Amino acid sequence: MKPTSMGQAVLIAAAVLYLVSVFFLSSPIWMGFSLNALIIAVVALSWNVTGGFGGLFSFGHAVMYGTGAYASAVLQVNYGVNAWIGLVAGIVAGAVMGAFIGAITFRFGLKGSYFALVTLAFAEVMRICASSFAFTGGGAGLQVKLDPGISTLQFQDRTVSYTLLLLVVAAVMILTAVMKNSRFGAYLIAIRENEDAARALGIDTYRIKVIAMAISGAFGGLAGVLYLQTMLYIDSTVVYGNAISVEALIGPLIGGAGTVWGPLVGTLGLHLLGEGAKHLLSNAPGLNFVLYAVVLICALRFLPQGLMGFAARIGPFRKKEEDDDNA
Amino acid sequence: MTHHLNRRSLLKASGALALASGLAAPSILRAQAATVKVGILEPLTGNLAYNGTQCVAGAKFAVEALNAAGGIKSMGGAQIELVVADAQSRPEVAAAAVDTLVEAGVCAFTGATASSLGLASTQAAAKYNLAQVVSIGTAEAMVERGLPNVFRFTPGVNKCTTVALDNLRLLNEGAGSPVKTAAIVHEDGPFGSGMAKILNERLPGIGIEVVETIQHPTPQRDFNNIALRVKASKADILIPSNYINEYTLMAKAIRQQRVELMAIYSILGGAASNIKFVRENNEVAQYVMDCNHWYDPQKPASVALAENVAKAGLDLTYDVMVAYASVQVIADALERSASDDREKMIEALAASTFDGSIMPYGPTKFVNGDNVNSQPVNTQIRGEKIELVFPKEYATAEAVFPMPKEG
Repeated sequence: MKPTSMGQAVLIAAAVLYLVSVFFLSSPIWMGFSLNALIIAVVALSWNVTGGFGGLFSFGHAVMYGTGAYASAVLQVNYGVNAWIGLVAGIVAGAVMGAFIGAITFRFGLKGSYFALVTLAFAEVMRICASSFAFTGGGAGLQVKLDPGISTLQFQDRTVSYTLLLLVVAAVMILTAVMKNSRFGAYLIAIRENEDAARALGIDTYRIKVIAMAISGAFGGLAGVLYLQTMLYIDSTVVYGNAISVEALIGPLIGGAGTVWGPLVGTLGLHLLGEGAKHLLSNAPGLNFVLYAVVLICALRFLPQGLMGFAARIGPFRKKEEDDDNA
Repeated sequence: MTHHLNRRSLLKASGALALASGLAAPSILRAQAATVKVGILEPLTGNLAYNGTQCVAGAKFAVEALNAAGGIKSMGGAQIELVVADAQSRPEVAAAAVDTLVEAGVCAFTGATASSLGLASTQAAAKYNLAQVVSIGTAEAMVERGLPNVFRFTPGVNKCTTVALDNLRLLNEGAGSPVKTAAIVHEDGPFGSGMAKILNERLPGIGIEVVETIQHPTPQRDFNNIALRVKASKADILIPSNYINEYTLMAKAIRQQRVELMAIYSILGGAASNIKFVRENNEVAQYVMDCNHWYDPQKPASVALAENVAKAGLDLTYDVMVAYASVQVIADALERSASDDREKMIEALAASTFDGSIMPYGPTKFVNGDNVNSQPVNTQIRGEKIELVFPKEYATAEAVFPMPKEG
């Protein structure tokens, strides 16, 4: 997680400074905004495990997010299960869903755009299923009862929610860094760079990719539960919709896929841009999306390795060979 | 004597000016007319943008009318200032937008077009003790959570369905019970799925058998297969539950595939009570019936609203009407509480017996946050107009049921 250049250090410091400043801003707007951004950052970190390190571009990461959220909601609403157990169940359900998708798609050798389309299809199938069955609330969705307390994982004071979310994001980033620096991470990166070569070197690519999907699914499921506990209401479009899948991949792509800080930096940057555009153009709803899109296109065109990749080229303590991966 | 303006003196002058402006500011504020802030939270972007924009227009008309009539008299004629927030058609954004309204200092707000948005916003507002007058939010979960800040002014899905089916039974019996079978076409979201479930349960109770239930996603662009399935089912009546674009495309496909129906009868239909649908698809729209939110067209305020909407070149939709009426309800609560304190507003709304809104409702009475004196009405598209056909005391035309064969 150590920055390799002055540029990266500045980016990371800016992100941390912003996250800390929320405690002192005493603004409900920024608090609400930051809570949402952090939940999306967890989904982005989830996508980063497979998309960033493994080169497995998913267009349907909402499938893990939604499965985690629904698993927890169904247990809490239909069976009165404690929210903390719901949290664990959501993480496990996300991991199982990830592993399942990985197992069947990689078994049939799907990769690249085929893999992306299959994940998209899975998310859509799950959306339709969730809106069809009675136990998932059908089209009306599921609503967790408002009952603030530690045991219900609901907090009246949003500063507490924010602190916990920050800790979760930090934990996910630490796990990502540990994974990246482990033998497993090296295998995954090797698969991203050249899967045939990795297999030729004796790496069980199928197993590694399925495990990566399971880890990614666990993070995605966790994000889904965090959303549920924040909003206390989910329906199929909200958690399995395309918007989540797009947000999951856009943060890492802008911030720097395959880096530890990239998804957080990208997600925060994009959300701040969107919020800034909204305030700047408050009299013309919708125009903020145009500005957002223009900046996004420019970023994708001129920053192919994301903000972290760009920042790696700035500053005195750069190590050229580690530019892309060491943050 | 010459006086040179150097950097230091410029800074001093700027500082003095800033200080003077800062000290003068309160007196300037005191000199201005008192205002009271009321919020409106609607989806101004995303797939519900049309409805949300219409709602904001309705609320603005209401604010203009109330301010022109002297503002809030118990607060010295305070003028209402509308604070608009965009929910972007996304629940999490709707919840976050409540923060914006709180920071702007609103005393209460209205919104939010879709149940999913309203469920999120009411919950977020509950944390601030901020009242939300729910203009449209038909899901019953809205008023089943025991939140003290929720005041749903318009009827929910249960009441709409009950009234709609009662009226359908009356229409059918009045015509000699020609309708025996129904096909339901619904979108697969909360609104359509919930409605389809209720209809499947209750239609047999009024002597109508459901022979086909077809669901589709939103958006859906080709309705030909769905129209052919309805045709093959030989249903006497079609009951759609979908949003405006899908409703329009479905109605067109029904006409193109020459599906013979005795009626198209919708409940909270996406387009059936929309003048845009009537204007742009006039032939297809003829005799379509709907049970929906609608104003009492006879009231002077309704007539004035219709004129203002026409002058502004907008569509007169139920969104405009319910948002207008919701602001009226908030203004009445402000008048009675004589304060923009959030808790006092909740108390005033809970005790509301307001009967001056443009809607065809009795005096407002909120029981567990649900206005028990609200009611939907039946409309029917006739020529260039949307006529109110039920209840009789508000009707502007007689219902035509079943519709003429060539209609």
